[in-house]
Amino acid sequence: MRILIVEDDLTTQQFLHRALSEQGYQVDVASDGQEGLFLALEHDYQLIVLDRMLPKLDGLTVLSTLRNANKHLPVLILSALDSVDERVKGLREGGDDYLVKPFALAELLVRIEILLQRQRGKAEPSLNKLQVADLSMDLLARRVWRGQQEILLQPKEFKLLRYLMEHAGQVVTRTLLFEAVWNYDFDPQTNVIDVHVARLRKKVELDGHSALLETVRGVGYRMVEK
Amino acid sequence: MAIVPYLKPYVASVTAWWKNKRQTGYMWRLTRNSSIWRLTRMYTALLMLVVGILLWVLYQLSIGQLSRSQTQQLDQLVQQQTLLADELSPQDFINQFLLQAEQSRQFVLAYDDGSNTYGRLDTIPKRLAQCPALARFPVYNYNKIRLYSGCVQTLDSGRLMVASDDEALFDLREQFIQASIIALSLALALGLVTGWFFSAQVLRRVNGINQIAQQVEAGELSARVALSPRNDEFDHMATHINKMLAQVEHSFDAIAGVTDAIAHDLRTPLGRLRLRLEQALLDSEQQAVSPEQLASMLQELDGILATFSSMLELTRLEHQQQSKFSQLQLENIAEDAVELIQPLCAERQQDISLKLEQPCKLQGDATLLFRAIYNLLENASKYAGEQAQIQLTIKANGFELRDTGPGIPEAELDKVFQRLYRLESSRNSPGYGLGLPLVRAIVRLHGGEIKLLNQQSGLQVIVVFS
Repeated sequence: MRILIVEDDLTTQQFLHRALSEQGYQVDVASDGQEGLFLALEHDYQLIVLDRMLPKLDGLTVLSTLRNANKHLPVLILSALDSVDERVKGLREGGDDYLVKPFALAELLVRIEILLQRQRGKAEPSLNKLQVADLSMDLLARRVWRGQQEILLQPKEFKLLRYLMEHAGQVVTRTLLFEAVWNYDFDPQTNVIDVHVARLRKKVELDGHSALLETVRGVGYRMVEK
Repeated sequence: MAIVPYLKPYVASVTAWWKNKRQTGYMWRLTRNSSIWRLTRMYTALLMLVVGILLWVLYQLSIGQLSRSQTQQLDQLVQQQTLLADELSPQDFINQFLLQAEQSRQFVLAYDDGSNTYGRLDTIPKRLAQCPALARFPVYNYNKIRLYSGCVQTLDSGRLMVASDDEALFDLREQFIQASIIALSLALALGLVTGWFFSAQVLRRVNGINQIAQQVEAGELSARVALSPRNDEFDHMATHINKMLAQVEHSFDAIAGVTDAIAHDLRTPLGRLRLRLEQALLDSEQQAVSPEQLASMLQELDGILATFSSMLELTRLEHQQQSKFSQLQLENIAEDAVELIQPLCAERQQDISLKLEQPCKLQGDATLLFRAIYNLLENASKYAGEQAQIQLTIKANGFELRDTGPGIPEAELDKVFQRLYRLESSRNSPGYGLGLPLVRAIVRLHGGEIKLLNQQSGLQVIVVFS
């Protein structure tokens, strides 16, 4: 997995470099837009982490140039500009995700992983059924079973579980869950997501069955591996 | 010359006053491109043109008419005499001519048959042209010189001269020209004075606006253009400028407000964080920093960041334009919000319900409205206490939220919308005191108003969109 980081702030750049290398990615860095664009066009990266405001060449220009050159790899935009307009602009230019500075490292890692997974999963046919351990979900019938026993869920709970199962094995942050399930673009900044997950957990983790959903402290949740 | 020393101070004070006026810009400067000078010139030229045309018409109708009729009469006389000369014998013609010359007072006639000159003149002036072209000539008579204009007609038997007294017409013309000069000079003076006066009237108001602009430029944002009771175009312009200035001042104050708020309210948690870090650094000499310690510091920092972005967002919301609004059903958003808060209420054994009195359709931003409703629900849940009842009712033009909690002290009802204001009782619970201001900003952005009321049963929040 080869990842390019284009970021002009050296501290952030070194930090990201270290963190992503520790995750086992092969990481290249560029400190300005021009260098970043050159590297991105020369090599085959699986993903680019792109700062929005860069010296020499603006992040959005780099992005649109890449897209025009038929490079369709996932791009995660980092930016201190957090208004909805700016997000929309970034995503419209061909960004796949947008993270506002300051961000939690865990959030960034989760988002990178999800982007990479989405990229890998592009060719796969969409599934009708999801399965994690003895928990199974029928997406068409919208029904869920734990072993032989059916679990009745409310629509939001179903969506929540579906997202968690789709990303089984990965850490999922509260913000990601909120965005995916409630579909409103903001951070509720309360423990309300935790309460929803706790409820879901109670329904899913029946007596005599193993625990499936673990809490990752300070980050979010993880469903056990499929 | 003894008066000069007495005058000196007055002269000095007048020149000082003049200089002062010039420097403060009140004085209209007579430069080529000053508007007042240009307008005055245009006005004066127009006035002169009108007066000139009037004079010309007057001249044509009076003196011009007179001189034309005189010429006509001369012509008639010439024709008449020519006819008679043809019909009568030379002697009869001369007799007849003498009679005619004697009788006509208005005209001077002379006839020269080669040997004698008959009529009032001794001789026919040589300069005269053939009729009908008239020429002027002086006649010396009883020590007076008078001007005549006339012409000569050559007959078979001699030369006939007819002339009219031009003196009166000439005098009249002279007088008319003099009067015209006076009239035009008066028009010039009047034009300059009134033109100046009116232009100055108009430009004084432009200048007033200029001065305000200068004051604002210099940082005096509260300056406003004065309005006149006339309610004319200048007043409209002044009103618009004042509105604009009010908006600018408002934005400016908002920024200043946020800066103050950041300075005051982020300093405390930042100071706390600093202390903790310092402590951790000292402790690290003895023992490793525990994950708990680090986690709590991270939490503190997240709180600071959240407050910071909320403040920025609030400022942005308060000055946002209604740009990307779409058609929405408020009840759908309310449903989502209730669904989100529901488990939280369940934990506190609160009973939350959504009542749809009437569907509410409006233009808006779904995420923002969701936040507003969710914030209100969260507040209700947080402050209403365990086992409280919370009811959200959707109405045709807004919504209403009631809870069975203790409400808000009457004296603080207005203050809860201030940034970073928190009730004494809630000072130690989590939150940043930005929830309600944010709700109000969102509601106002959607053209609505929010009201808080203490009911016997608890707090009532009313939101009405117009």
